[in-house]
Amino acid sequence: MATQLPPPPPPQWVLDLNSNPPTKSKASFPDPPGYTPTTALQQPSKSKSSKTAIAPRKAPTPEEMDSLKLKKAWELALAPAKQLPMNAIGMYMTGNSLQIFSIMMVFMLFKAPVQAIFNIQSTFQRLESDGNKEQMILAKLAYIGCNLLALALGVWKVNGMGLLPTTRSDWLAWETPREPLERAYYVPS
Amino acid sequence: MHLPLLGAVALLLQSTTAVFADEAWTIDYHYALLGAPKEETTFFHQPNPSSRASLIYTLSEEGVVGAVNPRDGALVWRQSLKSADIPSNAGFLRGGEGQDVVVGGIGNKTTAWSAADGRLVWTIETPGRIEDLEILELQDASQTPGVKDTIVLTSGNSPSILRVDGASGVSKWTYSIDNGDIPYQVSASATEIFAIVLHKSLLGNIKIKVISLDPVTGRKNDEYTLSSDSELSSTETIISVGANSASPIIAWTDAARTVLKVNIIGTKNVASFNIEKHNEHGVTNVRLHAPFHTNSLAHFLVHFETDISHWGEVYHIDLKKSKVEKAYSLPKINGKGAFSTSTSDANVYFTRISRGQVMTVSSASHGSLGRWALADLGIPVAKGEEAEPIHAVSEVSVKGDSVSAVRSAVFLSTGDWILIREGSPVWQRPELLATTQSAIFASPPEVEAFAQELQLEAHSNPVSAYIHRVTRHIQDWQRLPVVLSSLPQKIRNQLFGTTADSGLTGDVFGFHKVIACACKNGRVVALDAANPYKILWSKQAVELKAGESWNPTFKSASDGILVLEHGVGLQQLQFDASTGEVPSSGAIRVVNPSVGTVQFSLHDGELEANKVGSAASGAIWRFLPGTGERILSLVPRPVNDPVASIGKVLGDRRVLYKYLSPNLALLATANDLTQTVSFYVLDTVSGATLHADTHSGVDLQAPIPSTLSENWFAYSYTSEASDDAPKGHYLVVGEMFESLVPNDRGPLTGKVNSSSLQAPAEPFVMLRSYQVPESVSKLAVTQTRQGITSRQLLAVLPDSSSIVGIPYGVVDPRRPIGRDPTKEEQGEGLVRYGPNIEFDPKWYLNHQREVLDISNIITSPALIESTSLVFAYGHDVFGTRLSPSFSFDILGKDFNKFQMLATVAALAVATFVVGPLVTRKQVNTRWQFA
Repeated sequence: MATQLPPPPPPQWVLDLNSNPPTKSKASFPDPPGYTPTTALQQPSKSKSSKTAIAPRKAPTPEEMDSLKLKKAWELALAPAKQLPMNAIGMYMTGNSLQIFSIMMVFMLFKAPVQAIFNIQSTFQRLESDGNKEQMILAKLAYIGCNLLALALGVWKVNGMGLLPTTRSDWLAWETPREPLERAYYVPS
Repeated sequence: MHLPLLGAVALLLQSTTAVFADEAWTIDYHYALLGAPKEETTFFHQPNPSSRASLIYTLSEEGVVGAVNPRDGALVWRQSLKSADIPSNAGFLRGGEGQDVVVGGIGNKTTAWSAADGRLVWTIETPGRIEDLEILELQDASQTPGVKDTIVLTSGNSPSILRVDGASGVSKWTYSIDNGDIPYQVSASATEIFAIVLHKSLLGNIKIKVISLDPVTGRKNDEYTLSSDSELSSTETIISVGANSASPIIAWTDAARTVLKVNIIGTKNVASFNIEKHNEHGVTNVRLHAPFHTNSLAHFLVHFETDISHWGEVYHIDLKKSKVEKAYSLPKINGKGAFSTSTSDANVYFTRISRGQVMTVSSASHGSLGRWALADLGIPVAKGEEAEPIHAVSEVSVKGDSVSAVRSAVFLSTGDWILIREGSPVWQRPELLATTQSAIFASPPEVEAFAQELQLEAHSNPVSAYIHRVTRHIQDWQRLPVVLSSLPQKIRNQLFGTTADSGLTGDVFGFHKVIACACKNGRVVALDAANPYKILWSKQAVELKAGESWNPTFKSASDGILVLEHGVGLQQLQFDASTGEVPSSGAIRVVNPSVGTVQFSLHDGELEANKVGSAASGAIWRFLPGTGERILSLVPRPVNDPVASIGKVLGDRRVLYKYLSPNLALLATANDLTQTVSFYVLDTVSGATLHADTHSGVDLQAPIPSTLSENWFAYSYTSEASDDAPKGHYLVVGEMFESLVPNDRGPLTGKVNSSSLQAPAEPFVMLRSYQVPESVSKLAVTQTRQGITSRQLLAVLPDSSSIVGIPYGVVDPRRPIGRDPTKEEQGEGLVRYGPNIEFDPKWYLNHQREVLDISNIITSPALIESTSLVFAYGHDVFGTRLSPSFSFDILGKDFNKFQMLATVAALAVATFVVGPLVTRKQVNTRWQFA
């Protein structure tokens, strides 16, 4: 009868996992300037004793919070407009020829605003609160407007490339020749 | 000053089209023809006296002198002596033994060409027309050593005989025949020159008179009349006047061809032989074949022909007794036959080519030296027809007592000129194509029928179309065995072959079209446009009497049925395009013009239009040219002229609307008194003149071609030199628009129909005139299936014997004058107008070949849109495929299908091999630690 062997010693990694990391020995050198140790934030009451006590920040009121969020939302709403001149210059530089590079740029130009408009709820969700709902609509409208401006830039560019069917020649294939009412045939004599 | 011009030329260079280098000489084909060779001017001759290699020389009925390599039938050189006012049968060609020149004469010009390359040695003009020409074989002190002189007999006001120096062409002496006799022929023996003249008696009979001359001084030695009073009524029964044989002879028969009379020239007695009949068929033709060398035996062969058979009789001349005796006769053989004479040293051999047999005999005895069966002539002959030999020339090489090799160039009744080595055909030259009078493109009936079925499916409702398709596919199963048996060949062709290997029916690109040519001798010959050096079929359409012309014109080729109308009784013939058979009556669709359509035609120098089915008789309109004017030509717009777009898109994307009316015709008239040419664009329903233009100071002898297609026309003329301009050739191109304002459809805006009778709209015409470096004898336009591809204007240049394809962009009437094109115009490909057009070498369709005397060009669309088939005929036959906008819908020849498939296969194999390796490696990376 085989004797039950004692279980093998657990591998090193099990030991490492189970044992707590050794506590850091308190260093003698001070913290770098501006560094706030976690302990100081977690237990403000206990740190009263320390010399370098920082005055606690006052928690912002909901109103303040709302106005801050609104400010942030407007910043977000106007961001596409700030990119417009940059895009316009880029579009102007690429020229009106149909090349893979310019086609890709135009595609991106169309894709970004459309995507942004579709994702408008998620973009503004974290800034929205019950208090600033009304003002937020305005910011959203501005956001849509700015994106439409970017879209308009794309349309302008596509028109410049001659891809919009705006002229007579684009519809020429649907025009029919006039049917002659009479026919004449040559009979060689 | 030249900078803008240079710029324009540089732009032109970019817009030109050309074939790829690997396509030249493969997609185009050219039959360099001579025309039907004449019996008396065809011979074997060694161009280089030191070498034994010989060429076949001929002066054809078309008046073209040429040399053909007997090995492969390739043309070595040719010179055209064609001229409008000279009958084609009045030419002579001789090659002296051991001479490196051949001497020919036609009209009043005698010319010597280098026999090897056809370069001119000398040429002289005589006041009278040349009646005969002979090389003087005898040598004397007055001539350049080794060069033989030429004797020329001329007619005209002062008939005379000339001796011309063989090296320089300078005349040595002239003897004039001034007693009013008609000069007939000239002949020479070893010591004397004989002129044979015809003396017309009061009764209208002809007496043969012989004048013998001293060859050195040209003085008359003797003159006598052969006793042939009342025997000869016309020159037709004079069979032959032997040329330079050991003893020249003259032979003639009576009108009924019952007695043959032979005289040895130089003696006065005439030998007489009775001609026997064969099965009550009288002899219809007697010919004489004698050796042409002075040192050969004085033997000759008389060739008798009846309607059903032919035979030969060999005669010997006893030089000492000046007697002619019959030696032996060759048996009668049914059908026609040809005899030819060849010499080897002094021996004379006769080669007889008859139906199914080639035989060589010596002139001395009737024992056959060589006999070969002749099964296949290598030419297509229609059912029930027999290709009969008409005449032949032979070259015999003799080893010991037997003939080791004989090759004969035989002209056949089908119009083909073939070479037979012993009993097997070596090459064929379809010389009858040199007289093509009308040609047309046709698709085989099978292809047309399939296209019709597809059209049926496209135009019926989906359910019935589906049923139709299913039944069609079930019927297709019946062809499965054929398809299966041809599958290996098909796969091989697909992998390695070219489109030329596929047949007429299995052709997906539409390059294989039947080209039917109607020739002067009443035959119709069909070629395959993609495999042109093989004749599909050849058929005698009409039996023509000698001298009769039949003026054939092909009317249509729809449904694969060729309809040919000809002048012999204004008859209509029909042929199946792929076989040449007469189609069964069920296959013929007679299309009657619907009631109410207008038919117009040229009658007695005026243009007249009639309404079909109208009760009132008489023309609805007439176009009468002005006083002193005559109609030169009338070009209606082609019935099948597809136009892809009804407008021209400008650079700024606006549209200029084309004036598209199917009832347009371009009429050219000339006034001989004032030397003006007028061009009228007519509406053929109302007879209204839509556009007219007159040019003065025009050379009316020069050709004035014109063409009309889509909404534009082109014509060319040659203007005489005037005070402010030298003589020059002009090409004028006009384009018609509904309005010259973009985006405007003219007065008929918004209307669906147009009528020529109620409120017709006139076109706005833009014209440009260009000066071209050469005169143009014929204009044509490329045609494509849907008319999307841009056009090329094809022009025949008779002076340089070539054909150019001018891209339409070069002659576009919208080229801006006096200013550089704007950016938009540049986008359209327009360049600044320059009055000159230089023909770019890349436009020449014939490349470096000489395409002689093209009388017409026809074009036809292929199945693929990019390509147009072109066929030019006249004297030469030339054809090619053109892609004016490049071949955008077909892979080039450099595309290697095999390589592509091999690459795919190699990649597949690599994937299968490497796949397991990669899987193992991926598993190993998971499970193994380094």
